[in-house]
Amino acid sequence: MRDSIVRLDKAAKAFATPEGQTVTALDAIDLDVSRNEFLTLLGPSGCGKTTLLQAISGFVQLDGGRILIDGEDMTDRPPYRRPVNTVFQNYALFPHMTVGENTGYALEVAGVVKAERTKRVGDALRMVGLEGMEGRKPRQLSGGQQQRVALARAIIARPKLLLLDEPLSALDKNLRQSMQIELKTLQHELGISFIFVTHDQQEALTMSDRVAVLSGGRIQQLDTPRAIYDQPKNSFVATFVGASNLFEGEAGSGQLVTRDGLSISHGRQGATGAATALIRPEQFFIAQADDSTPSLDVDLEQIVFVGSTFELFGRTATGRRVIAEIPAMRRSLVGEIEQTRRARLAYDPAAVHLLPAEAA
Amino acid sequence: MTSIAFRRRAQLAVLLGPVSLFLAVFFLGPLAIMIVTSFLSPGLYGGVEWTWYPHNYGRILGFADPMFEDFDPIYIAIFLRSLKIAAMTVLATLLVCYPAAFCISRLSDRWKNFCLFLITLPFFTSLIVRLFVWVLILRPTGLANEVLIGTGIVSRPLDLIYTDGAIILGMVYVFIPFMFMPVYASVEKLDWTLVRASLDLGAGPIRTFLRIILPLTAPGIAGGAVIVFIPALGNFVVPAILGGAKVMMLGNLIEQQFLAARNWPFGSALAMMVMTVMLVLLFIHVVVSGRRGFDPATGH
Amino acid sequence: MKIFATLARGSLIAYTALFFAFIYIPLALIAVYSFNANPVNMMTWTGFTTEWYAQVLGFKTKISENALYLESTSQLVEALWNSLIIATSTTAIATVLGSAMAIALYRFDFFGRRFYRTVMFMPMLMPDIVLGIALLIFFVNSGINLGLKTIIIGQCTFLISYVFIVVTARLAGMDRTLENASADLGANEWTTFRKVVFPQLLPGIVGGALLAFIISMDDLVITYFIAGVDVTTLPMFIFAMLRRGIKPEINAIAVMMLTFSFLIASLGLYLRSRQK
Repeated sequence: MRDSIVRLDKAAKAFATPEGQTVTALDAIDLDVSRNEFLTLLGPSGCGKTTLLQAISGFVQLDGGRILIDGEDMTDRPPYRRPVNTVFQNYALFPHMTVGENTGYALEVAGVVKAERTKRVGDALRMVGLEGMEGRKPRQLSGGQQQRVALARAIIARPKLLLLDEPLSALDKNLRQSMQIELKTLQHELGISFIFVTHDQQEALTMSDRVAVLSGGRIQQLDTPRAIYDQPKNSFVATFVGASNLFEGEAGSGQLVTRDGLSISHGRQGATGAATALIRPEQFFIAQADDSTPSLDVDLEQIVFVGSTFELFGRTATGRRVIAEIPAMRRSLVGEIEQTRRARLAYDPAAVHLLPAEAA
Repeated sequence: MTSIAFRRRAQLAVLLGPVSLFLAVFFLGPLAIMIVTSFLSPGLYGGVEWTWYPHNYGRILGFADPMFEDFDPIYIAIFLRSLKIAAMTVLATLLVCYPAAFCISRLSDRWKNFCLFLITLPFFTSLIVRLFVWVLILRPTGLANEVLIGTGIVSRPLDLIYTDGAIILGMVYVFIPFMFMPVYASVEKLDWTLVRASLDLGAGPIRTFLRIILPLTAPGIAGGAVIVFIPALGNFVVPAILGGAKVMMLGNLIEQQFLAARNWPFGSALAMMVMTVMLVLLFIHVVVSGRRGFDPATGH
Repeated sequence: MKIFATLARGSLIAYTALFFAFIYIPLALIAVYSFNANPVNMMTWTGFTTEWYAQVLGFKTKISENALYLESTSQLVEALWNSLIIATSTTAIATVLGSAMAIALYRFDFFGRRFYRTVMFMPMLMPDIVLGIALLIFFVNSGINLGLKTIIIGQCTFLISYVFIVVTARLAGMDRTLENASADLGANEWTTFRKVVFPQLLPGIVGGALLAFIISMDDLVITYFIAGVDVTTLPMFIFAMLRRGIKPEINAIAVMMLTFSFLIASLGLYLRSRQK
């Protein structure tokens, strides 16, 4: 068993809506985060990811279950007595304090003497690339710089765990990508666990050691980014992470037949019963009409050029929508099918993933 | 958990206890006593007798005490005149403020803030001093008459002060910030692309004003109207200074009942009339603005 | 079309200039005429003098030799003192109580919160004469002698509302996640209040106090009803003077009062703009 830094044991939380209904934000969640792990909580808004984060930081009191941090029960501890720090979504920098005062705040309230505080503030700011900015006020900084101050402020007290609540969502795309890499590097240098909340699946896949996909207050799947993408456990995960073509039907050995009569080949020999086959758009390639590899014939409705790829939107004879992504290198092939408005989309049966059938 | 809940309760009690006690005793208490007093019988020599006596209201509304007096419509006349003067004050303040709000909302931020500063500043200066200026201007030997006679427009001083007009002028002068701020807030929020859209769709400037600008700024106008009308109705300083003894308004009448006639129950009943008008106005305002607040997109 | 637009814009600007002229020319007039030497008709210029200011400030002047004037000057000084005592006390009380209520209503969600809110807005909407007579009836019925004490209590009932509204506006503009950030970084509730909430709230509290002070100094109607016979405040003094007949030194008093409130209001607005 890996060394655990945070353990959630049947953590449960429900909220009452103003309309008088109750919404389950956390549905008896079990979760283990190991030391030095970069874990991402991924899900649409309202899935419970922020509640989960706030339960760990102490801003949400659980209705049931326990939270252990480094083996200690934290369930009833107020936020200020937990060895956890947070980078807030909109940074939450104190507007009336300088960058230095903001950064040193955790040390100041902990009673660390001024000299040491000054030194550690300098170190922390250097670490995030803001050397010598102590005297500035937060409003004099750019969004990216404010982000870094928030980061420095959260790591200065050397928490056992750093929580990041969609910290990059306010930054523009380029800055966001470079910050992703920086965060990852910083996590390695500090050697502490990060729990990162985002609704951006690309961000989750890029940065994490493991990703927990949340929906309806439950962890739908907790796995490495690759496993999440290649072997989603259910159709929610399959559709939320990446684009997907799903075919529900009756599985037989090596073959799945949908209700509308399409036959999808797959690599699983022993499969039986109701199941859903997943084919990612990029798994398709364009085959010749006489090709014998497993394929789907579609009428093309739309061909969209997005730079590195062409996106093909087609419909099978039975009216089912299919999305395929063809590398832009294959532009001559695309030119051909653009004329005929028909395409044979082939795929490798071994790469087709089978999901268990779900109750509707 | 329970200790946290207890601590929060204690904090709340410390924060709210003293102020609640203060307001209950010195604010809500007096108002309640005033309401009670308005239904009591006036004593012979200025006191109050603890008997049920609805004729304080009767004197105003037409069922005067049959034992002592005939109904005199003078009070209802004063009431109606006060309503009229307050309404005209609202109208005049609106006419003064509305165009200015438009102009100022189109200025650069620097100028905008400076203008808003200039408009709020008089609000912080002495009311009595601001009214006193108009005495100097309007009285028979005042500046206005000096100028009018000096330029030969009139040969004898006009009666400017101690008229309805003088009262309205004084109230407009005093209440400008009250009207300007809400009107300005809604003018400032106005989305000018909507105006451009209206012009683009073929509506002329007048129609665009009536169909687009006016409805969209109506909440500010309504808000300003309410907060000018209410203090104007019960005002006693402005009529006392600029209305002299000639123009009686509700405010002076109430003052008279308390400090001269010493008929407190009747004075309280008059004050209750002012309060009733205020509550009716606020009620209408809340209902109307509540309905306007309905957003078809969200259903709230 | 362009000419039309320019014309419309021009007339709008001209109108706004007139608007400000309407507001400020009367005030400028008293400032000018407060230096007018004409003792009978204040709006007929007969020469420059600072005599009225000297008179108000208690210096010996030709006029102040006259016993009648001397008496009115000492009354004025007494009225000014009363106003200052009242304004200082009410500001202190109203600032503490109003801020406490604002903080309570912001931090805690409790039964009756809406009721408190309504009560807080009542004095601002009610014509002040209603509150004035209600307080008069109350004080007389409960046997409290009218005087400085009743004025202070009476003014506090509505000044609390002003402080409450200014502080609430400040609180509403505050970011609640800052308190979470502070707790997250290890500060307990009291430290968070001291280091994060209060410093940000301070401009609101100062602003509320300044507003309360100015309004207290200026209040006429409520004070008028509950002052009793012995106590006179500055606005009451001027009001009585206006009713009896105008003397020239009232110009000087007016100008000094205007200057005073201009200064305080400018200070308050400056502090507020700096905080943004």
